[in-house]
Amino acid sequence: MILNVDLSSEVPLYQQLRDRIVEAIAEGVLTEGSPLPPIRALAADFGINFHTVNKAYDLLRQQGLIRLNRKTGAVVTSTIADSAFREDWTARARTLLSEAVARGLPADEVLTTCRSLLASFGTSQPEDTP
Amino acid sequence: MIVAIAVSSALSVLVLALALVLPSLNSPTVPFGVRVPAQRAADPTVVRQTRTYRLRVLGSGILAAGFGIVMFSVTGEPLLLPMSVLLIVGAWYGCFFLANHEIRAAKAAGGWYEGMRQGIAVDTELRTDPPRFPWLWLAPAPIIMVATVVIGAIRYPSMPTTLNLHYGANGVPDRMAAKSVAAAFSLVFVQVGITALLAFIAAAVFRSRPDLDPAHPVASARWYRRYLSLSAKALLGLAAMIDLAMLGASLLMWTGTITPWAPLVVALPILTAVVVAVVVLARNNRERADGDPDTGLTHRDDDRYWHGGLFYLNREDHALLVPRRFGLGWTLNLGNPRTAILLAGVLAIIGLLITLRFSA
Repeated sequence: MILNVDLSSEVPLYQQLRDRIVEAIAEGVLTEGSPLPPIRALAADFGINFHTVNKAYDLLRQQGLIRLNRKTGAVVTSTIADSAFREDWTARARTLLSEAVARGLPADEVLTTCRSLLASFGTSQPEDTP
Repeated sequence: MIVAIAVSSALSVLVLALALVLPSLNSPTVPFGVRVPAQRAADPTVVRQTRTYRLRVLGSGILAAGFGIVMFSVTGEPLLLPMSVLLIVGAWYGCFFLANHEIRAAKAAGGWYEGMRQGIAVDTELRTDPPRFPWLWLAPAPIIMVATVVIGAIRYPSMPTTLNLHYGANGVPDRMAAKSVAAAFSLVFVQVGITALLAFIAAAVFRSRPDLDPAHPVASARWYRRYLSLSAKALLGLAAMIDLAMLGASLLMWTGTITPWAPLVVALPILTAVVVAVVVLARNNRERADGDPDTGLTHRDDDRYWHGGLFYLNREDHALLVPRRFGLGWTLNLGNPRTAILLAGVLAIIGLLITLRFSA
């Protein structure tokens, strides 16, 4: 998996790392059981601080996306979205969609973008329940 | 004498050829060790400096070689021939530094990095699914070493009572020692030391950090894996050929053979291996971004860690080896404390080998 971070972006590095890993899980590049490099090795490969990678991994662990183990290192886990996550995610989606509406994007275009993005994540992901 | 001239000339030609083609082999976004955005890779300053550099290298190379030949014909001192190779290397660095300086000045004056989105790309699979170390290529060196020891043990009773430890450039032995196990097998220690050092470098290269192009990270990562494997094979092949040369030199010593082509026995396998390794690395040194879409990111400007354009010194960086920006292969991070320990260790081993060889 390629992790690309943008140093000139306003998004903090740990957040970018976390986002890229979540996207890789959605795209099916990372599946349940896929190993991630040890924190120290990843920090050295990026030439960034150990704590930045540690923070990203910690976020992913809190969100139940990876499991940190002293022996096996970081491994991707599968989680089922609970009601708390659904509420939180809906709130964030609301903000993101509001931005589109506020900037005058037509609803059709927003929906088309959402559909094509979801489709790009591949067939390995569960379809939305009717 | 002729052999010494031939070997030095071959080495000079190799260094000159490498110096001339290197600007075409290194990444176009790091002309003469200056990191530039892809849009500036063909900037008029870069094009002009490349042309000037080649003319300077060619001119100073011919001057240095001519100087070496004249000094040699006047004094007859064969040591001057390798000196002229060193002179070429020194002049080469001077030409490189002038080009580096000019491009750096143009980059700063033109604000080449203004408004660029700088990024870093990492391939996590290099750690979670590393390429396989070419263990098979490690096999020839120990086989040659064992063969040297076995042949030496068999021949030991029939060896001459005085062993020729060293030959002058004209093939006449200039240092001898009474027959002893230490003297007879002295070159085996060289074999062990060289093989251990090159195998260690190959292993370190395998663990080293790549310098992926954030604009084309997928193609860049694919290329790096291939380059890693090729480099390790080149290093292990070189170790085997050096061991073979030592076996040849040992055979000359054990049989007491004195011939004018004695230096060739050592120089030919090593020079061949060096040429092959350089050509293989040179042909694969430049990554190709075929078919990989541009991510819009530019490699971050890391010029401030490169001193004199060639020496990498970054205390924050935990990497021991980093890819060279001008030249082939890797270079040490001089800001890493482990580098100092490593250099001291290598110097100690070389010192030990020289002492062993002289005391024997």
